Amino acid sequence: MIIGTVGAKTIGGLNNIGRFARFTWMSMLASLRSCISPCTYPLIWNQMNLIGVRSVPVVMITGAFVGMTLAVQAYDQLAGMGLEEHLGVLINISVVKELGPVLAAVMLAGRIGGALTAELGTMNVTEQIDAVRSMGTDPIRYLAAPRVLACLLLTPFLIIYADLMGIVGGYLVSVVQLGINSRAYWSFSASGVELWDVSIGVVKGLFFGVAIAVISCYKGFTCKEGAHGVGQACTEAFVASFISILALDFALAVIFKSIYNTFWPLKSLV
Amino acid sequence: MKEVDKENNIPADNGDGLIVLKNITKKFGTNTVLDNILLAVEKGKTTVVIGPSGCGKTVLIKHMILLLRPNSGEVYFKGRRIDNLRERQLNEIRTHYGFLFQGGALFDSLNVAENIIFPLRQHCEINDFKEVEELVKAKLAMVGLDGYQNYYPAKLSGGQRKRVALARAIALNPEVILYDEPTTGLDPIRSDVINELILKLQRELNVTSVVVTHDMTSAYKVADRIVMLHKGKIIADGDPDYIREHPHPVVQHFINGQVDDDDLAVLRMSGAVSQAQFLPRDFDQ
Repeated sequence: MIIGTVGAKTIGGLNNIGRFARFTWMSMLASLRSCISPCTYPLIWNQMNLIGVRSVPVVMITGAFVGMTLAVQAYDQLAGMGLEEHLGVLINISVVKELGPVLAAVMLAGRIGGALTAELGTMNVTEQIDAVRSMGTDPIRYLAAPRVLACLLLTPFLIIYADLMGIVGGYLVSVVQLGINSRAYWSFSASGVELWDVSIGVVKGLFFGVAIAVISCYKGFTCKEGAHGVGQACTEAFVASFISILALDFALAVIFKSIYNTFWPLKSLV
Repeated sequence: MKEVDKENNIPADNGDGLIVLKNITKKFGTNTVLDNILLAVEKGKTTVVIGPSGCGKTVLIKHMILLLRPNSGEVYFKGRRIDNLRERQLNEIRTHYGFLFQGGALFDSLNVAENIIFPLRQHCEINDFKEVEELVKAKLAMVGLDGYQNYYPAKLSGGQRKRVALARAIALNPEVILYDEPTTGLDPIRSDVINELILKLQRELNVTSVVVTHDMTSAYKVADRIVMLHKGKIIADGDPDYIREHPHPVVQHFINGQVDDDDLAVLRMSGAVSQAQFLPRDFDQ
C-alpha cells in the first residue's frame, strides 16, 4: 500500500517534471521563431508594455528600500570598526550583485507571475486556449512566447532601475541621515564596485525573467478548473518562481565566481 | 439509417465519412469516458450527438479536431489518419474546421472584430485591411450582429457571444463546423436563432456539421442524423424519426425528458425534504 502510494507519487512527480521540461523547450523554440517573425512583434511589444513598463514603479520602490535598509543595518557594525566611509561599497555591491536582482525578481514574480498565471489560467478554464488551438494556431507561440520574450528582454532593465534606486536610497540614508562624507562614500564605492559586479546582476535578470515567465505560463496552461484552480495555480506559480529565483541565484553565483577566478585569478586576492 | 447499438454491428460504410472515429477509447484516470467508439460523420450532413450531461459528448467532439487525443483508436479526416500527427501538422488540418465552444470562448482582451480577424491573421497574409473589414462585416451580418465590431465580449449577452463565436468559427470558410452545446444557457427564442443559423450555414455554405446537445428541440430541428451516447458507448444511431421510435428505454427516457425508474427509486429512498432543511440551533435565528 505504502510502496504503491510512493510509487504513484514518484511517477506523478516525474511526469510533471517531464511536462514542464517539454513546455520549457517548446517555449524556447517558439520564442526563437517569434524573434525572426515580424508579425509577432506587436504581440511582444504589447506584453513588454504590460510586463515591463508597468512594473517600473514597483521595482524602483523595492530597490530604494533595499538600499536604505542596508545602510541603516550595516552602519553600526562598520562604525564600530571605524569603517563607516566604506558603507557605500557594502551597500552598492550588495545591491547590484545580489539584493537588487533577487528582490526585484521576487517582486516581478509576484506582480507579473501572478498576473500571467491568472490570465492564462482563466483563458484555459474558459476554453480560450482550446479555441486558439482549434483555429490551427500554436498557443505556446501565440500566448507563451511573447510573454517569455518580454520577460527575458525587460527583467535586466528593471533590475538596472532597482539597482539605481538602491544606490540612490543607500546614498541618501548614509550621507543625509547618517552623516557620512559624500566624497568618501562615492570614492570607496567606485573603487569597490566593478563593471563585472553590475553585469552579474543584469545577466542574472535574463535567467530570472525566463524562469518567471516559463513557470507562470506553464501553471496557467495546466491550471485546473474553477476559481479555486486559478487561485491555486497563481500560488504555485509564485512559490515555484520564488524558489527557482533563489536556486538560480545560487547556481549563477557559483558559475560567475569560477569564471571570475579563471580570468582574473589574482584580483580576488587583492 | 442503421443502428449500431449492438457490438460488432458496425455499418460497413463507416470508412467513407469525412471524419471517422475508429474504436476510440478515452480514459481520464480510471474513468472510461469513451469506450471503443466507432462513428463516421457524413459529408454535407448535420450529425447531432445527444446524451445526458457528463456522458462524454464534448470529449467525443474534441476528438474529432484532436483537441483531446485518444488512449486508443484512430481518427481520420478525409481518409487521412490524423491522430498520429504532431501538433504542428495538425494546425493545418484544423484550419478546415470551425469550432463553436459551449461558452463561446471569445478572447476577452480582443473586441468582436479582432476576434473574427484572429484566424485570418494567423493563416492569411493581410494586405488590404479594407477587404478584411468587409469580410468581418459580412460574417457578422451572417449571424445578425453587424455593427457590433467594436464591442468587447464582456458587453455582449450569452446569445450574442455565441453568435460572434460562430462568426469567428466560419471566418476561414471551414468544411466542418463542430458545435458544442450551441443552445445551452439560452432562452427558447435565442436557442431557435442559433438553430436557424446552423441550418442557414448548412444551406448556404454546404458545410458538414456536428452538433453536441441535450436540447431535443434543437436536435430534431437541425439533425440529419442523431447519435446517442450513453456510458461511453453509442446506443442509438439514426435519423430523427428513427430515434423518436427507438425501442431502447434509455433513449426514450432521454428524448422525452423523463427520469428513469432507478433514479426515481433513489429519490424515493432518500430522506424527506423537511429533514434536509434542518439547521443548527445557533444558525436558525
